[in-house]
Amino acid sequence: MTELLQQLVNGLTLGSLYALIAVGYTVVYGIIQLINFAHGEIFMIGAFGALATWTLLFEGTTALWVLPIMLLGAVIASVTTAVLMERFAYRPLRGAPRLAPLITAIGISVALQEAIRLFYPGAKSKIPFPQIDVVTGPALTFGGVTVQRAAVFTVGALLMSAAFLWWFINRTRSGHGMQAVSEDPDTARLMGVNVDRIIVIAFAIGALLAAIAGLAQGLLNANIDFRMGFLAGLKAFTAAVLGGIGNIMGAVVGGLVLGVAEALAVGFIPGQFGGSAWKDVWAFVLLIVVLVFRPQGILGARVVDRA
Amino acid sequence: MSIDTDIEEAHDDTERVSLWDRVGRPVAPFAWPLTLAGAVVLGAGCFLSWSYTSDVLGDLSIDFYPGAVQILMIITAVLAVLFALMYRGPLSHLGEWLSSATALRTLGLGSTIFMALVIALIAIQSGGLVNVMPGAWVSFAGAVILLIGSAGLTPRAHRDPLHASLPSWVEILTIVVLLAIVLFGVAYVLGIDDGTVFSLVVLFVGIVCLALARAGFFTWVGVIAQTHRRVLMLGAVAVALLFPFTQGGSDANMSIATQVLIFAATALGLNIVVGLAGLLDLGYIAFLGAGAYVGATMSYSTFATIGWKPPFLVVMLIGGCVSATLGLIIGSPTLRVSGDYLAIVTLAFGEIFRLSMGNLDGQDGPKLTNGPNGIPAIPDLEIGSFNFGETHDVLGITLGRFANYYFALLVLLAFVITVFTRLNNSRIGRGWIAIREDEKAAEAMGVNTFALKLFAFAGGAFLAGLAGTIKAHHDVSVTPDQFIFLESAFLLAAVVLGGMGTVAGVLIGATILKLLPEKLRFVADYRLLIFGLLLVVMMRFRPEGIIASKRRQLEFHEADEELATRIEEVHLVEEQEAKA
Repeated sequence: MTELLQQLVNGLTLGSLYALIAVGYTVVYGIIQLINFAHGEIFMIGAFGALATWTLLFEGTTALWVLPIMLLGAVIASVTTAVLMERFAYRPLRGAPRLAPLITAIGISVALQEAIRLFYPGAKSKIPFPQIDVVTGPALTFGGVTVQRAAVFTVGALLMSAAFLWWFINRTRSGHGMQAVSEDPDTARLMGVNVDRIIVIAFAIGALLAAIAGLAQGLLNANIDFRMGFLAGLKAFTAAVLGGIGNIMGAVVGGLVLGVAEALAVGFIPGQFGGSAWKDVWAFVLLIVVLVFRPQGILGARVVDRA
Repeated sequence: MSIDTDIEEAHDDTERVSLWDRVGRPVAPFAWPLTLAGAVVLGAGCFLSWSYTSDVLGDLSIDFYPGAVQILMIITAVLAVLFALMYRGPLSHLGEWLSSATALRTLGLGSTIFMALVIALIAIQSGGLVNVMPGAWVSFAGAVILLIGSAGLTPRAHRDPLHASLPSWVEILTIVVLLAIVLFGVAYVLGIDDGTVFSLVVLFVGIVCLALARAGFFTWVGVIAQTHRRVLMLGAVAVALLFPFTQGGSDANMSIATQVLIFAATALGLNIVVGLAGLLDLGYIAFLGAGAYVGATMSYSTFATIGWKPPFLVVMLIGGCVSATLGLIIGSPTLRVSGDYLAIVTLAFGEIFRLSMGNLDGQDGPKLTNGPNGIPAIPDLEIGSFNFGETHDVLGITLGRFANYYFALLVLLAFVITVFTRLNNSRIGRGWIAIREDEKAAEAMGVNTFALKLFAFAGGAFLAGLAGTIKAHHDVSVTPDQFIFLESAFLLAAVVLGGMGTVAGVLIGATILKLLPEKLRFVADYRLLIFGLLLVVMMRFRPEGIIASKRRQLEFHEADEELATRIEEVHLVEEQEAKA
């Protein structure tokens, strides 16, 4: 029983991370049907933005008050990258055959990874991430189940982000605009919605949440590296599909389900094919099974035609 | 090069004015003499010394003994003089067919950039502008004069090279000469060790090709290549066979050449899936990997895990079949998913393959692949009594280990190209193209879409598997990290950069992607960054690739009416020729 609870806790932590990144895929896909393959890199850049802020401004400080400023640094780095990417790489390709943006995305992904590896000092191998009071430190235990402090932070961040997203989409003008554009871009344009602006907002929202995830990942793992975006991005995409791509709350649910499934696979698949060596394999098997048998996902996709 | 859209624009000559006319200066009569003078000065400067020290960019310091870089500019100058004489003068009847003014502008701009770069390089490498000798400045001035003069020329309407009818021996001779230039050019370029000189040569080739393409020369070459297809094929085979003999027994470039061939064979397999059937596969390297692992586990390596050692041709067949089976498995979801989702499914399959190969080490799974360490020490191929590791002397030239693999891979590539073109021109190929253009319409027309899509996957995978078995012996060891996602991205890039659905394009794409990183060692660390940006820029400005299949080009430029008419016209002429 403790074992099961422990794996659930691990899974929820991992799942929260996936969920935060998955929102970025799903928001963009819901509006322009583009798989922003480079979104994993936005997450990675968020982590490096937080680290850079800390190194430049607070080297050596571990007080809790630096955390919001680190987060701000992460968000600025991620959102700037995402908006520039949309403006200069994706926007000129709107209306091009679907292969073009996908290849562009692969190009951006490789270029961003390499840019960080080459130009961020010391980024050629793993870089230690600062440990902050309260959110990291000795693990908490609840009746035999250990919970990392950073895990609490991650889950908390997901809950707040989900609440913010709900408010943003249902209660603001821009949110209503996003809903309108994802239903029917042409009609939305006729109704006076600035579609270009809405698309930029979608990229920015995704990047915002990815930045939070980047910071959380740094705190959880105590180190970051330039390759972290690829696998995380792929898993998060799986999560987005699992929840139903285009469906924002679906991404959150999908992320949590994927995280828990992965943790349970590590703990409970017996024999040689269990264990952590195979956990990525099982995650990808899940991705394929979902894409093939239930492409609309758990909560139902908003854009089923593409499947 | 394929059809150049600039030519079409040249037809409505009312629009065409020289750049000088736009600024409003009535100096047009001086434009042509200025152009010619610029070209001559550019060439003349090359015979003078360019640099005070003799250790920069080869040796450019001796008067009247031009070094390699200077010879490049002499060639440019000669071309410029020829084009200038086509514009007005003894060669003007050729000027009716080629757009000499556009070509001259390109040459002028290109040589100015080239000379500026050379002067900058001399200044940097030998410590200061003092070391730049007058010759370089003379040539630079010539280039600038050429640029200014050519801006004053008015591009004239010229006739479509499609209707040029020359005696066929001239056409055949052109093909032969061009192929010879390719052979010796490639051998020469590969022999350059200095990275900066190599980049300058690449720049030069780019300038000349662009100028010739804009003049409409390559359109004509495309037309005669169509009419003399057999000659071209024979010539290409001869060039490929002769290449090892130009290397004088050195294995350094042959090893690059073999890598290019393996890469090209795999990329052609991918071209069936992506270019013809329009199914995006992001995990294609897994098929090459499956072949390589079959080749490795059935080899005589002491680390091989399968005891059965059949002859290599059988191993090849098994490798191909294992790959094809994987292709069937990966292709089967195409029944239900398409587009972006398919791309992700294949990406996931590719990752599963790599992770599984890393896990099957006897600890986390059955012992098959030795896990992350892979299978090292794979011995050289031995077919009959012919050992691929030994050197052979043919006509006094030593052919090394890589030359042996080169010939084997050439046979494989010829097979792959035959399969590709045969399929492309068959009922199956037309079915694939129909699926690519509109799957629902194709199905309604009675195309068995599911079977054809599966066949595209299995067929492409089979070819990659064959290449993989040779790769295992060629590389000596097989490890999981030879098959990371980036390699799949490279393969896809070769197809996309070169031109989807064409053979020549993929060959050029594969060559560029494998050769440039090898030669540009001084940017070795930046090559992935450059690769990523190149993909983005390419998709933005020429999504159809360097050598575009005409149909593809139209797909990416739907609004281009002129291109559509032109393609129709070419098609009609081809049909007439076929009837005649």
